[in-house]
Amino acid sequence: MILHIDMDAFFASIEEAINPRLKGKPLIVGSRGNRMHTVVCAANYAAKALGIHSGMPTKRAYSIYSKLEFVAADQAKYIWTSEQILELLKGFDLPLNYASIDEFQLDLGSSPSLNPVSLGKEIKAQIYANFNISASVGIAKNWLLAKLASKLNKPDGLTLIDGSNFEQVLRKASLDKLCGMGGKNGQILMAKGLKTCWDLYLNLPELFNNNPGKFDENPGKSSEKPKSVSHSYTLPRDQINPQVIQAWIRLLSEMVATRLRQQNLTSATVHLWLSGPEIGNFGAQMTHQALTNDGYEIYQRALKIISKSSLNNPKIRVIGVTCSSLSWGYYSALLKEEVRREGLIQALDRINNRFGEGVIYPAITALTR
Amino acid sequence: MNQNSFSPKARWDRFEPEKCGFNPDALNERIEVLANFKHSRIFPKSFVWHDKEYVIEIITYNWQERIGQALINYFSVLCSGQMYQVSFDNYTFRWQIDKLIQ
Repeated sequence: MILHIDMDAFFASIEEAINPRLKGKPLIVGSRGNRMHTVVCAANYAAKALGIHSGMPTKRAYSIYSKLEFVAADQAKYIWTSEQILELLKGFDLPLNYASIDEFQLDLGSSPSLNPVSLGKEIKAQIYANFNISASVGIAKNWLLAKLASKLNKPDGLTLIDGSNFEQVLRKASLDKLCGMGGKNGQILMAKGLKTCWDLYLNLPELFNNNPGKFDENPGKSSEKPKSVSHSYTLPRDQINPQVIQAWIRLLSEMVATRLRQQNLTSATVHLWLSGPEIGNFGAQMTHQALTNDGYEIYQRALKIISKSSLNNPKIRVIGVTCSSLSWGYYSALLKEEVRREGLIQALDRINNRFGEGVIYPAITALTR
Repeated sequence: MNQNSFSPKARWDRFEPEKCGFNPDALNERIEVLANFKHSRIFPKSFVWHDKEYVIEIITYNWQERIGQALINYFSVLCSGQMYQVSFDNYTFRWQIDKLIQ
């Protein structure tokens, strides 16, 4: 049995716990401080009831309800709370999966001495007692069903799917509640007449019977090599100034490079993604023989992608930099200039590690501030 | 604890233009705090800001963040109907008032 814990409107709940005045009022957490020029990063249940959801531009959210409460996201407190919940769950001494910042899974095995419902209640109670926020728990034979179960009675729900209610629950659950069916896949299947999870089960029973889930011995720290490392940013408004756009590309390149170096990775392929009103979505990539984890080099490669494209100083709203074709290990420099450059990067890393990320930064990125 | 998990961007996000920045209401003023240090935890009791004493009635939430070598302990506290965010830097031993919580 798998026990899936899904925190209820996680970021918004933490903000409500911090400031009890916000409790029960329609509240959105914006990804930036400017309430009219950002997107909804999380909405509490009162806001969700009005039709406001995460990913929605805040302007639209305010057009739905002008008296929305607003808090700018502060990821440090969400990350800290998530890690504390993980620590709490480690105390149950069961295989654990850190699925995402607000989702956790426990593998209960098939021990008859363990009552999954009592355990679910205990976990919910402990989370509430420690953090004053609620979680929904789903319990089922595999992670896909357990995750579905956790969504069915939100907020503060506890749902068990077993042999006795399997068909009944799946018949009631619309297909888009199932993990992976919220987007295009779901739309295609729904267009083919599959409306509920039960319809999908009749066509694809193995999907519901397998999916055991992935449980690490060392939750929270993966030893697997990632396929890519990327960062993207949505600018507050369309930007035409090429220097500012380049500054953002440099900043994102530095952020990607920092993560590559933290994970002892180097990359051969740089992918640049731009989006704007005139160009729609533009994406292109270049692979080089020389591996790198230097932010300046990644930036230069990204600029080369622009210069080789037909883009003519368009308005840009979203910028993304991705590094892929990753390899373990550092690239050892041969040329004198490269050795100097490597020494400089190491010195910058040491300063940022000691005084905080972004304390020392390339001058051009000042244009992003 | 790996404070970098999920998004190291959290740090970089702070550097936005002043007018629409991460925290335009930031005060970041030094304060004097009376606190209990108990069982590896910190419980601020009252603080003095601009020569006025504020008695903390409730600590509604607390969390931590690692910035370089420093570990910052944040507290959201209620004093006479107003919420404040205060923080303690365990590297410099500095207490500060970060902002008023509206």
